[in-house]
Amino acid sequence: MNTPLEQLTSAIKAGKRKDAKSATQAALDAAIPPAQILAALGEGMADVGRRFKANEVFVPEVLVAARAMQNSMDLLEPVLIEAGIQPAHTFLICTVEGDLHDIGKNLVAMMIKGANFKVVDLGTNVAPDVLIEAVEAHRADIIGLSALLTTTMPAMREAVARIRERGLKVKIMVGGAPITEGFAHEIGADGYAPDAGSAVELALRLVEAA
Amino acid sequence: MEREFYLQLARDGVRLPIAADMVLHEREDPRACRYCGECLGEVIMEAAHRFKMPLAFPLMDLRTEKEWMLTHLGVPLDEIDSFHFDDDLDEASISRLAGLATAAPTKRMEATLGALRHVAAHADKVPVGMCIGPFSLMTKMLADPIIAAYQVGIDPEDEEAELVLKLMEVATEAIIHWVRLQIDAGAKAICLCEPAYNIVYVSPRQIEDDPAILDTLVINFNRRIKAAMTERGVDLILHDCGELNEAIIRSFNSLDPAILSLGSPCKLPEVAHLISPRTVLMGNLPSKKFYADSEMTAETVTTESRKLLGAMKATGHPFILATECDVLCVPGCEHTIMSKVLALAHA
Repeated sequence: MNTPLEQLTSAIKAGKRKDAKSATQAALDAAIPPAQILAALGEGMADVGRRFKANEVFVPEVLVAARAMQNSMDLLEPVLIEAGIQPAHTFLICTVEGDLHDIGKNLVAMMIKGANFKVVDLGTNVAPDVLIEAVEAHRADIIGLSALLTTTMPAMREAVARIRERGLKVKIMVGGAPITEGFAHEIGADGYAPDAGSAVELALRLVEAA
Repeated sequence: MEREFYLQLARDGVRLPIAADMVLHEREDPRACRYCGECLGEVIMEAAHRFKMPLAFPLMDLRTEKEWMLTHLGVPLDEIDSFHFDDDLDEASISRLAGLATAAPTKRMEATLGALRHVAAHADKVPVGMCIGPFSLMTKMLADPIIAAYQVGIDPEDEEAELVLKLMEVATEAIIHWVRLQIDAGAKAICLCEPAYNIVYVSPRQIEDDPAILDTLVINFNRRIKAAMTERGVDLILHDCGELNEAIIRSFNSLDPAILSLGSPCKLPEVAHLISPRTVLMGNLPSKKFYADSEMTAETVTTESRKLLGAMKATGHPFILATECDVLCVPGCEHTIMSKVLALAHA
């Protein structure tokens, strides 16, 4: 018989949200320290991320795993707060102004959350002023900007420029279908991630380097 | 029309850059023109003449059907783009959507129909209509479409999965009605766009485990739309610019499109053998890179066009050189984008 933590990791990997919830409850009932439960969740999501990068699983499998993780977190979060356990870094994410696409953004947000960042998702079509206000309010360490359309790439440039003008000490990473490493460099972003798995690695590198 | 018409276009070396949006944005007031049938028709005809296209390709406007459906449900116009059903899509809404065919067309639809009538009456070009595919429409309506669609393959009796299929049912009927209105207005071919039918929305693992999922989720619904076109002698131009795998590409054959337009993630010379020789392949210069010379110069467009034409000729598959998707106007980049569209048209 697997332990609740093993069951939890397996449920996340398989994207089984009901199993994830019951395993989390079982772990809490067994008085397993919340940090260990969180680590089991992270292990499951990290495995999904690895398999995603290796093309062994695809976006739908990642999303069902992320939903299972969220179901587990709904139970775990109050306990973590009570125990004073908080993510060390805050990641703020949005799709830039004029762009309503959110699949890539959501995927990155889920994976980053799985890597134990506090994720603040501002949604889509986010104006630079709203972004700046949120960076200051949440004291974000990293911003992730997404754009799917070539027509909204200028808005990404504008957002980066406005954040730099403001002098905010925040790392900026960008991604989305038309975005390239060259474009990221040209607009002054700190990094570019071609997919959600790479986004996690980049975010970890950026906070380590800070 | 006879299939031979399209095969001859391929033999004649016709090019089809989908760039009416660029011409629209040359107008003094593009927004007003978008909502005026005659002005929009002029734009479409001008694009066809400028790019030497025998087909009068319209704007690839995939907002139309969602706007029509949500307007019918009372969603304010300025909220439609960002509106998604979460867990609040109930049976009552589905029932109301089922009665959509009796609802008045929106201004956007009226203008599109006016443009089609204008093109049909004034041009020597083939008037082409436009619609979204039911799977892509479903993904625009739901807050969490990927998980919901995945659930159809995992447990079709799950509440979420049932709702997806019901929504697609009413979406399909709405699209069929929209297609018929466009045919009445003079469309001789309809470009049906299913950009969400790709490996982001439909997992290759799920396809491998159960290949019938493609029929269940996508193809069966599109087959009904194709039938509505066939009964009026109108041809299907199928467009999917997403990232595809072999199973998805093969599945297009069952719809027997006159033209299949694929995006730049597809290596056309490598996938041509998967497609029926009755279907003209169309594509797929990476027009999303046209906005900047640092991404792609006009010279590169010419070089890549010739390379692709050569590679496709070697396959023997009927082929029309085109952009991978519609070329959208990026403010400040109009000139460079247009130079590349013209480079493609004249390569």
